[in-house]
Amino acid sequence: MAIVRRSLLLIALALYTSFAAGPFVWAAMMSLRTTTEIHRNHFAFPNPAHWDKFSDAWFKSNYAVYFANSVQVVVVAVLILTVVGAMAAHCLARYKFRFNRVIYFILFSTIIFPPQITIISLFQILVQYGLYNSKLGLTLVYVAIQLPLTIYILESFFARIPADLFDAARMDGYSDWEIFWRVALPIALPAVATTVILNFILLWNEFLYAVVLITEEANRTLPLGIQRFLGDTQEDVGMIATGLMIAIIPVIVVYAFFSERLIQGMTAGAVK
Amino acid sequence: MAVVTIDKLTKVYDRGHAPAADNVSLDIADGEFMVLLGPSGCGKTTTLRMVAGLESITSGTVSIDGRVVNQVPAKDRDIAMVFQSYALYPHMSVKDNLAFGLKRRSVERAEIERRVANVAGILGLAEFLSRKPHALSGGQRQRVALGRAIVRDPKVFLFDEPLSNLDAALRVSTRGEISALHRRLGATMIYVTHDQVEAMTMGTRICIMNGGRVAQVGPPLDVYRRPANTFVASFLGNPPMTLLAAVATDRSGGRCLKVGDSEIELPPGRCPPLRPGSQVTFGIRPEHVAQSAAANGAMIPVEAEIVRVEPLGAETIVIARLPGVEKLVFARLPGDAAFAMGERRQLFLDCGMAHVFDGDGGALGAGDT
Ligand SMILES: Nc1ncnc2c1ncn2[C@@H]1O[C@H](COP(=O)(O)OP(=O)(O)O)[C@@H](O)[C@H]1O
Ligand SMILES: [Mg+2]
Repeated sequence: MAIVRRSLLLIALALYTSFAAGPFVWAAMMSLRTTTEIHRNHFAFPNPAHWDKFSDAWFKSNYAVYFANSVQVVVVAVLILTVVGAMAAHCLARYKFRFNRVIYFILFSTIIFPPQITIISLFQILVQYGLYNSKLGLTLVYVAIQLPLTIYILESFFARIPADLFDAARMDGYSDWEIFWRVALPIALPAVATTVILNFILLWNEFLYAVVLITEEANRTLPLGIQRFLGDTQEDVGMIATGLMIAIIPVIVVYAFFSERLIQGMTAGAVK
Repeated sequence: MAVVTIDKLTKVYDRGHAPAADNVSLDIADGEFMVLLGPSGCGKTTTLRMVAGLESITSGTVSIDGRVVNQVPAKDRDIAMVFQSYALYPHMSVKDNLAFGLKRRSVERAEIERRVANVAGILGLAEFLSRKPHALSGGQRQRVALGRAIVRDPKVFLFDEPLSNLDAALRVSTRGEISALHRRLGATMIYVTHDQVEAMTMGTRICIMNGGRVAQVGPPLDVYRRPANTFVASFLGNPPMTLLAAVATDRSGGRCLKVGDSEIELPPGRCPPLRPGSQVTFGIRPEHVAQSAAANGAMIPVEAEIVRVEPLGAETIVIARLPGVEKLVFARLPGDAAFAMGERRQLFLDCGMAHVFDGDGGALGAGDT
């Protein structure tokens, strides 16, 4: 009986996994085939495998630049988001001050606005400040759009850390600043890791703000680079797949690094 | 080594609400083990946290060695505190938990190692030094919390109900260990508890609090024997002192009380002459109610109806009702006392040990003068 149930479960899981991973595998196969080959047969195995497409994309299609831009914008944005978000969350969760909940509510309420509402005015503002078409401008916008959600996620976690721990650290001689870095942040690491993954993946794939705020070739990020292969009349499906693969690899690396195992290891010591 | 002086300390959390600590004054001598005892919510933790510097002071002063520290931040008061929840840093090993306070005070690395090893030795934590708190039992965590305070060698130790999360057996043994620690270190300690056994057995002196105020301060047995008011009288002792409403009569020079239908004559020295007709409270501890008259003459016989008998082996608790009195009288009798429920018989009150309180609950001539 148990075996039957187990194998049913396994079959269901296998079906779901292939359903979810199918498109990824398909894209991976296409990334090694030329567009002509793909048009001839959509689903064939890459034979021969055109590994040179990756170096073509990287060197000839400017992917090295897009990649560097994406890394720069996203890593800086995620860093700022993590540090500022954690500090704000710690502050809102721990300190009693006037309008604490008002500030929290205002921050939180911005989550509900869809980006289309603000993007035109944002464009105007960036132009006025000379930040249009610059990586700095895009980075700041990325920080701004993701900060409320980051604070929201972290605040609920910081609020669960018992106040006694902070009092104990004060008795041990630490200042509020040191307590944040040496007690609050390490304990909140599982939640911080979650927001790092979330923000990284979201911003790495971000297209809408990038396409509106960046036009210059030298400042394009990866999602914009992939768009380049989408012509008006023709699309280079093979190169799009290759570009996608290049774009996906860092996401997998980040996810693996902050993977569940790691998070579990960190959570084991955390607050009950 | 430190003298802690608390002077008219008051804490109001929310304006309009009653103060959590109300005019608390207390002198704690160097090396003393002062216990703050009282029911839950009476302001013990609040008082302790003001001494620690974790809570702002509404009015009054806290001084350490004569220096007012109201404005000195907690980290500069050289005080260590053991929390009820232990408050161990979950992300650090036991060793790092112990060393955390020393690191901040820029103690040399070798010295930290030495002190941590020493404290771990004293508390039997040596084999757990590399573990994280979640991998320890409740008793071991409690030791780490103690160790974290000891290792710093502070001027003053504060304890906030450190044993309340332990099971009964562990509580008894840890009680002894903390007392031993106090003797060994000779440090000034302030210990908060709602457990009167802890207070009686550990305190050099105890300070009983009620509703944010100090009800009485003194060595445990003094407080037990000479409670300053009805609150202290009924709070200390288990079963508690029986307190019965009484009226002074005009007999025996104002030392004869009418309790219900019985008349009780108090020996001189137990209370001052009372104005006939004045309303007072008569108090007698269970151990001062006997089943037979002893040799000395102060035993007053009273008629009683036995309401309940609780044989505990070594002793028998008898709960009785005096004629015309609603409240019940507790008696602690020898284990072989043979009583039956519903029985009517004589009990003897050792009035040489009785207490009389005035209408406001304050003790009258409670001293053995
Ligand atoms: N942070 C706080 N804010 C408001 N009221 C508080 C706070 N801490 C304690 N109190 C109130 O102060 C009173 C005394 O509390 P506390 O000192 O914790 O008592 P104890 O430790 O003797 O049980 C209680 O009525 C409690 O509700
Ligand atoms: Mg308390």
